Amino acid sequence: MATVIDEKQGTSRPVKPTTKLRTTLWLVVSLIVVAAFWSVKIQWSALADFPAQLFKYISAMLLPPDWSKFSEAFGATILSVQMAWIGTVLGIVISLPLSFLASKSLAPQVVTAPLRLLFAVIRAVPEVVIAILILSVTGLTPFTGALALAVGSIGTLGKWGYEAFESVDAGPKEAVRSTGGGTLALIRWGVWPSAAPEVFSFWLYRFEINVRASAILGLIGAGGIGKMLQDNVQFRNWDAVGMLLIVVVVLTMCIDQISGAVRNKLIHGTWRAPKLAS
Amino acid sequence: MSSATTVKTEPGRPTKPRHGAKSAAAVVLLLAITLWAGFGVQVDVAAIVQNWRNATSNVIALLQPDYGFFPKTIPALVETLQMAVIATVVGSAISLPLAFLASRATNPKPWLLAGVRFVMNMIRSVPEILFAAILVAVVGVGALSGIMALVLFNIGIIVKLVSETLDGEDTGAQEAALAAGASWPKAKRAAMLPQILPSFISQLLYTFELNIRASAVIGLVGAGGLGILIDNVRSFFRYHELSLIIMEILILVLVLESISSWLRKKLV
Repeated sequence: MATVIDEKQGTSRPVKPTTKLRTTLWLVVSLIVVAAFWSVKIQWSALADFPAQLFKYISAMLLPPDWSKFSEAFGATILSVQMAWIGTVLGIVISLPLSFLASKSLAPQVVTAPLRLLFAVIRAVPEVVIAILILSVTGLTPFTGALALAVGSIGTLGKWGYEAFESVDAGPKEAVRSTGGGTLALIRWGVWPSAAPEVFSFWLYRFEINVRASAILGLIGAGGIGKMLQDNVQFRNWDAVGMLLIVVVVLTMCIDQISGAVRNKLIHGTWRAPKLAS
Repeated sequence: MSSATTVKTEPGRPTKPRHGAKSAAAVVLLLAITLWAGFGVQVDVAAIVQNWRNATSNVIALLQPDYGFFPKTIPALVETLQMAVIATVVGSAISLPLAFLASRATNPKPWLLAGVRFVMNMIRSVPEILFAAILVAVVGVGALSGIMALVLFNIGIIVKLVSETLDGEDTGAQEAALAAGASWPKAKRAAMLPQILPSFISQLLYTFELNIRASAVIGLVGAGGLGILIDNVRSFFRYHELSLIIMEILILVLVLESISSWLRKKLV
């Protein structure tokens, strides 16, 4: 009883319509979920064997992993990281000017609207599909993978970029305008300084995403983790897959740690995460 | 003495030169990494210039989707949706308690916090395609292995996002509940859960979108959904059919994006 009164005092907006919407939403969502479970073609009995099967495969992979494959796994993972790096750098170089052009405060709508659509379309297409398209031009090399990641990066970086540029505080922008600055001066002195830390952190985040995505591109032949994975799964060399798994996990965790530290340095000025105020 | 005073009277920014040296070093380092990576992936601009004509025919094929192929894509399309729904629901159900264990604001035991975070980092660092490839071997080809791979992938994302939201929340209400004699689970349920619920829901919608996209990928190794279809048509270079599948994913994601942004506005 007490909580009901509290809730009514705490919120000043009308409660009724929201609850109605919420109830319908809950009903619709539950219906969709039930329908999905009901209709999906799965032999649920397979789940019963799952723990035993999993144990069997994990012991095949990790007890012990094939240490002779370490250098191959390490090389494949490094190649994937290189692919991710080049993809990110190219993505940054292309997306940065585009996201200035896609900001409503910096460009007319004739320019912003098609660019935003382009970003949305790219974001909807998986990197594998982009890679399949690029493949016909460059052939099957790691460079194809890097290009596919670059195109994929333009979709997300472009969107995050214009959102960051649009949410910049109006004060500095007005100051530049009032002293007679043109659009370039506005970008350089009014927009970029405030948005830069956020944009840097998006770049790092996209690099982390690209490291994971580069694994997929190997599957269609771009080399790296994906290729080694496919080769070894095909021939059921589970101890080699286990080795690959270890290298991927350790290397990715290292990259995440480094990029987390760089992110903290750029945003908070310290390498370590700031302590919570508690 | 006199030198000390001159230093003091100079404009107060002694950091500037050091800063310059530092950013120069950073630029050099980044350039070096880029060069190293460039050699690694064999950057070859000449090949693009030479072969760009090859792409035009493919692009033309892609711009003419084969709509007659649509009936054949329906089962895969439905399977993708089923996989995404189930994986989001199961993934979030598992993630919510884990997120509470992975946040500094809601988990008072340092060793448990460190342990949970370590396992979560490990799960997150494995690409979903690796999970899928292994699970296809363990449980067999089809939707079940896909759902399990997506669930693992979702746990990684949701736990990170939700625990970060929890980190930023005010713990005052939780402390009040604890002071009033509530148990830890009850205090979290009453004080922390309501605070994060709106952002949790918007993160779920985001995860659902990701799942639709991911299902195009994990199908490549046999884990069900549109990916299997993509793999089939691409190995026979049927670009007209490929473009129809791309279009379906595109429409699906755009529709979901607009639904979820509408919902976010309504709920958050």
